[in-house]
Order: sequence, then structure tokens, then C-alpha cells
Amino acid sequence: MGKVEKMRRALMRSNTRLLLSGVLVFQLLAMALVAFKDETVSVQALVLAAALPLATLMVVNLMGKLWPVDRAILILVLLLVSIGIITLSGIARSEVTPRTQAIYAVAGLVAMFAGAAFVRAWKSWKKFAVPLAVLCLLALASPWVLGSWYQGARNWITIIPDVLTVQPSEFMKPVLVVVLAAGFANRPRFVRCLPAIGFAAACCAILLSERDLGAVLLYFLTTVFMYYAATSNALLTLAGLGMGCVAAVIAYHAFPYVQDRIAIWINPWSDPQDTGYQLVQALIAIGSGGLFGMGLGLGSPTNIPLYHSDFIFASMAEEFGLIFAVCVLAVYAIIVLRGLIVAMNARTSFHSLTAFGLVVLLGLQTMLIVGGNTKLLPLTGVTLPLISAGGSSLVSTMLSMGLLLGISSMNAEDEARDIEQLALKEEVSL
Amino acid sequence: MKELRRNMRLVGALVVAAFLTLSGWFALTVFEQGSIWASNSYNTRLTATGAQRGDITDRDGVALATTQDGERVYLENTAARRALAATVGDTAGMSGTGIEGYYSSQLLDISGSLIERLSALFNGTERKGSSVKLTVDAQLTAYISSIFPSGYRGAVCVLNYETGEILAMVSKPDYDPYDAAGEDVEDTAYLNRCLQGLYTPGSVFKIVTLAAALEHDPNVLSQTFVCSGEWKYEGGSIVCAGRTAHGTIDLETAFARSCNVTFGKLAYQLGLERLRETAEALGFNENFKFSDFALYNSQFPTEIGNTSDLVWSGIGQGTVLVTPMHMAMITSAVANDGVMMQPWLVERIATESGTVTKSGSAQAWKQVMSAQTAQIIQQYMYTTVESGTATRAQISGVRVCGKTGSAETSDDKTVETNSWYTGYIDDGAHPYAIAVVIEQGGAGSRLASELASDALAAAIQMVG
Repeated sequence: MGKVEKMRRALMRSNTRLLLSGVLVFQLLAMALVAFKDETVSVQALVLAAALPLATLMVVNLMGKLWPVDRAILILVLLLVSIGIITLSGIARSEVTPRTQAIYAVAGLVAMFAGAAFVRAWKSWKKFAVPLAVLCLLALASPWVLGSWYQGARNWITIIPDVLTVQPSEFMKPVLVVVLAAGFANRPRFVRCLPAIGFAAACCAILLSERDLGAVLLYFLTTVFMYYAATSNALLTLAGLGMGCVAAVIAYHAFPYVQDRIAIWINPWSDPQDTGYQLVQALIAIGSGGLFGMGLGLGSPTNIPLYHSDFIFASMAEEFGLIFAVCVLAVYAIIVLRGLIVAMNARTSFHSLTAFGLVVLLGLQTMLIVGGNTKLLPLTGVTLPLISAGGSSLVSTMLSMGLLLGISSMNAEDEARDIEQLALKEEVSL
Repeated sequence: MKELRRNMRLVGALVVAAFLTLSGWFALTVFEQGSIWASNSYNTRLTATGAQRGDITDRDGVALATTQDGERVYLENTAARRALAATVGDTAGMSGTGIEGYYSSQLLDISGSLIERLSALFNGTERKGSSVKLTVDAQLTAYISSIFPSGYRGAVCVLNYETGEILAMVSKPDYDPYDAAGEDVEDTAYLNRCLQGLYTPGSVFKIVTLAAALEHDPNVLSQTFVCSGEWKYEGGSIVCAGRTAHGTIDLETAFARSCNVTFGKLAYQLGLERLRETAEALGFNENFKFSDFALYNSQFPTEIGNTSDLVWSGIGQGTVLVTPMHMAMITSAVANDGVMMQPWLVERIATESGTVTKSGSAQAWKQVMSAQTAQIIQQYMYTTVESGTATRAQISGVRVCGKTGSAETSDDKTVETNSWYTGYIDDGAHPYAIAVVIEQGGAGSRLASELASDALAAAIQMVG
């Protein structure tokens, strides 16, 4: 390891040490609070109170030792994952929910390491784009064969009944971004982009047939933004967005359930007992939390249907209060910002676009569900990345973050090499 | 690559900006509306919270609801307790408009300040919620309830027309808050008819038609009308009460004697657009958003099929609907020289430690008609009480202005008409306006105007 890189690593560590300590203290205290809140001490919460900070410390150090990744992103991702586990421990009706979430988080950590290692090792990405695209389409279509309708959508497949169900649209998000990045890399002409665009359109069509509206919207917007970034073709991008709007209007008229969603969004209070129940209960929960929250484990966010998955943001706002909720949004914003820096520092347009797509997807998804929870946008059933209960979403998002971290470590190495070469040149010229 | 970075910077900035806007918007919405969401009656947390409910008092400090040993205690006198139930509400959440429900998040301080919560935690004391002081006079409310003709349904609202303070709301039938959600409660007793009762206004709507005529056609003052007891227009006819022929009369006499033929003709002369314009300026079809209660929207037709609908709308029949509170507001606007004040019910909300978190104040909604128009209507309403249809509303030694109404609620006169009266005291020392509706109280508005006279006389005595 070069001297310069050593210095650089030392610098990065000291920068994030304070952040890391803060996160560790938060994890410890919050889980301890959950453990002791009832008459009987919760053993599981106590175990988690020790496990969360330890795991965080280990992962940050291990990954930091292996590769010079952007530690701030890594720590904040782990913070969000632990906020999910903590909130679920505080509110869930049974202890199984947070336990399962913790197990998924371990799987997610593995996926994150795998993602980082993968993107670093994978030099000949062009060859894999086509097989990946085929895999993606097959996976997205699989619920038609292996899945069944669940809560108005058919986007799940059952691997082991009642134990392991998988949502392919979640797992295919990083795949979509990688395939599109490969298709759009090196500033191609429009014609050369067509296969990638066709692929994205096929994805959207399959998802639409499964009525996974949230995923359709995310896939669509991510594709449009990536296309613009890659080609700077503003005209076609706007045309694409326009087509999206037309499609939305058609969908509104064609599908009654879309109309219902919009009607509930405009006035959930008109039917607070039935169709508007979910949103009304979410708003009531957020309002009850006030600025400082009802207190972890003290409110009753379980009144909201899907309090642990789609509506976890509302649950969190009730438990921790408005100020904390805004801070969580700030954490997402910082991850997005640092992710954009990673994208801009990347050396190849493929890596740059991949990082960019992943980050935009994360930001959009967060906006959609937070807006949906708070009546600012119509509700689409997507998860709050990294926090919502649910294995598919958690593992897939952590895999995405792994890819992003891998790219960030490649950037750091490239920069270190540049500095060393520059230093070498200076020595020669001296 | 350079271009790629530029594009990514642009799109990235857009995404981040959208994200921050959403966060800010979210924070602002919750900050502004959070407590309104929380005090919704579908919030099951309200009954389960640890804090003790704060007190509700009337304008003189009389305790209308307090908490003693964990029990909610209302007025001891049964009649008074029932009279105030529509205003105060109940803890079972049966009343849709009562303060107990509408302000429950404050009464329970569910999102109270951190310091107060912590101090309660350390002292081991039970936290007590904020207390709410109302603008209503409990004595006056109980009195009006006691003189309301027994066996009838209806509503009475008393307002201060200069400030908009609500002095009394009586809604019949009423219920006992101790028995809320019980089996003995009469049908529709949980409805606060002042705010939620939509009634056909009948002749009290002539105030609106008169305002429309005065605002749109200054010549109408010198116009004379001929009434033969019936007017046949194309497609129908309109008659005066008892087919009385009022003869050749001017506008003032027509108003004071409540001549249907004249006001039907006025509406016809004005046309739907102009009549609706004035009605909407006066708050019809308006979704009022007052801070202390939700008021149902009064309705004036936006589309009219034939002449008949237009003519009948002019005398407050057809599809015109009004809440008693809104009628009192319209009269108040006339009394207040055309400025409609926002009605308010909560004078002050203070936390246990004395911090005032809300204090009500007089706020104009808007100038709904010109001062000149208002003054002419004031004069006409005075004549109505002096020598017209509302002589029973007189109070000795006080200048009273008013208008009666009997609203048809069936097409074939099988159901007795609703008896209406709205009026006010023309005296800056006692600026009180009233609206009374007695369901099926009978024609001639005798019941309503007598009740109003008693109620306003009592208001002078009790409120000052």
C-alpha cells in the first residue's frame, strides 16, 4: 500500500469516526429502551442491543479494511437498516417480525459484500448485459406462473409456502440499472439505445400486467433519467416523460383501482372507515406523534394497516416524532448526494451510470412512499428502502448499496493511483 | 464523460431538490395540520392516553366539564348539561362537533411540550391536558333550551355580530353526555343542528334576494309591485301566504309583509346568475374553514332548469338549503354594515402551566355586501318587527330588527312548515344576532319569533 493511500485512509477514518460512534450509541440506547419498556425484559431486544452496534462496527471495519469504500454511505446505510429493526422491535405485534428483519439484514450484508466484490471484479460487463436482461424479464414474469394475487397485485412468488416469498420486482431493480447502464454507456446514438429502451419498456409492461404500479413508476422514471444523463437528448427525454403522462391518464381511465387511489389521495376523509382507512390512520398517527413523538413503543401505529411495511414511515413519525422523521429523510438525502459524487468520480461511463441509476432509484422510491404516507402524493405500494419490513426489498437495496460502495472504492483507488503518479512525476522533475 | 457528469449533476440536483421540497413540505404540513389530524374522532389513541383531560369552561369561567378522580364530570343540573351537550360534546365521541372531540388533542395534550412531559415523568404526577375556555354563555344556553317549545325539534344560534363570538348554540333534541352512546338517546340527538342541520330557509332567504336586488339594481328602490295574492308565470304560479293580496306596494312593505309574489318577481328580474352571485358572496356553496368547528355547506342551486326553480329560489324554497349558524351569520353581516365576521367558539386554550397556546379573536371573513345595502336591509328588518310579520319579536325598550320565515318541506302541505326567525338587537351595547328554526313549528312563525324575543332579552340580561 502506497504512503499516500495510507494517509488517505487515515483521513477517511477520522472523518467518519464521530458519525460511527453516534450511530453505535443510538443503536445501543434505542434497543435497550425497547428491551426494558415492559414489565418483563425482552431477551431478544437485549441481544439486538448488543448485536446491532457490534455488527455495525465489524462491517464498517471489515469492509473498510478490504476496500477503500465511502464509509459515510456505508455507516448511514447501516443506520437506516438498524432504524428499521429498532422501529419494528418497538411496535410490531409479535417478536417474530423484528427477528426476521434482523435475519434478512444479515442476508443483506452478505449481498452488500457480494455486490461490492462483484462490481470490482467484473471488468467485462458488456458480455453479461444480454443474459442479465433475459434473466430480469424471466424473473419479472415469473409471478404469472409461480405467484398469486395478493392485495391487488400479482408480484410475489412463493419459494417455500408461508416461509419464503420473493418479490422479483424488488430484486430486479439493481439488475435493471446495470443492464441500462451497459446499454447506455459510451454515449450511444438513439438507435444503439433502442435495445435497452425496449428492455425497459418490456419490464414496465410485465409489471403493469401484474398491477405493481409503484414498481412501474420507479422503473420508468429511472430509465428516463438514466437515458437523459447518458445521451443529453433533452427532446427525447421530454417526449418519454410526456408519453409517461399520457400512459398515466390512460391508466386512470382504464383501471378503476387507479381512480380509487387518486380519489383516496384527494380526500381520504370522505371515507375514513373503508377505502380511506389506511391513509386516515396514517395521518392520525403522524399527527399524534407531534414534534417529539409518542415515544418508542408507546404509540399505537399498529392501527395502520401495513404499519410495518408500506406505512412504516408513518409509524416511525408517530413513535419518534416529526423532527426525527425529517432527520431520517436527511439521511436519505445525504446518501443520495454522496452517491451522486461517487457517480461523478467514476472512471468509466458504465460505472458512472450504474452508480447514478442506483442513487436516483433510491431517492425516487423514498419520495414516492414518503409522499404516499403523508398524502402529498398518491399512494403507490413501494417500500421505504432499507427500513420497511420485508426481505426482498432489504436484500435488494443492500445489494444496490454494495454495488455503489464497490464503485466508490474503485474511485478511491483510481484517485490514489493518480496522486501517486503525480507525486512520482514531481520527484522526477525535481 | 464531461457531458455525462454535467447531465448527472443536473438530474441529481433535480432529484435532490425534489427530495428536499418534499421533506420541507411534509414537515410544514404536519406542523400545521398534525393536531387537526390527531384530534379526529377516528383516533383511538385519544381514549387510551395517560394524560388527564383538561377543563372546559364557559365565558364566565363556569366549569362545563372537568376531571375528578379520573372521571369526566359535567354540569350537575340535568337540563343545563343536556343543553350544552351540543357545544361541549362527550368523551364517547358521539357528537361530531363537540369541543371534547374537536379539541381532544389539546384537552389531552397528546403532543404536549417535551419539558412538560419530562417534568410530569420526574414528579410522578399525572399530566393534565390544556383547558379550553369557550365564548358561549352557559346560563343563556340553558335558558334558551328551557324556553324551547317542548316536543319540537330545531336549533337556536346566538352570535355577537360585531366580534363573531358564539354566545349560545341550542340543538333539539339534545342528549345527556353521561348517557352518550346509551340506548335512551333520541334519534338524531347527536347532530348539532346549528352547524349540521341543512334547512330550507323559506322567507328568511328574502334577505339574500333583497341584497341581490339592491346590489345589482339601484332603481329597485323606486319600483312598485302589484300583488294580487298570486302570480302566474310561464309554467307555474306562486302565491302569498293565505293568498293575501298585498295590493300595490313598494319594496319595503313587500319585505315587511313577506310578499312572495314580489320576491318571486325580483328573482325573475335578477336572473339566476345575479342571484347566485350574491348568495355565494354571502357564503352559500362556500366551504367555510373555521378553526373551532366544521360548518356544513349551505347550498344554492348552480344550475336551474326552468323559471319555476328560479322564482321559488328567490323565496328560499326549492333546492336552497341553509344551516342556522349560517343564517345567523348573514343577519350578523347585515347588522354589522355588510362585514361578515368569522364565528368562533374558543376564547382561549391554556396548558396546565398557564401557557396560552391559542386565543380567539374577532376576525372579519369579508365584506359581503356594501354598507349602503346593509343599512337599507337594516331599515326594512326594523319595519318588519315594528309593523310587519315579526311584531312578536319586539322587546320593550330595545330596537329589534328581524325577519320571519315559514319553509315548506313537503310539496302537498301535509307536513307543517318549519318556523324560522332571524334578527338582531340594533344597539352597540348589546350587539347580538339570532337565528331560530323550529321544525314543523307551523306557519306565521309565531313560535320562532316569540322564542327569539325571549332569548335576546335574556342575552341582554345574562351576557350584558
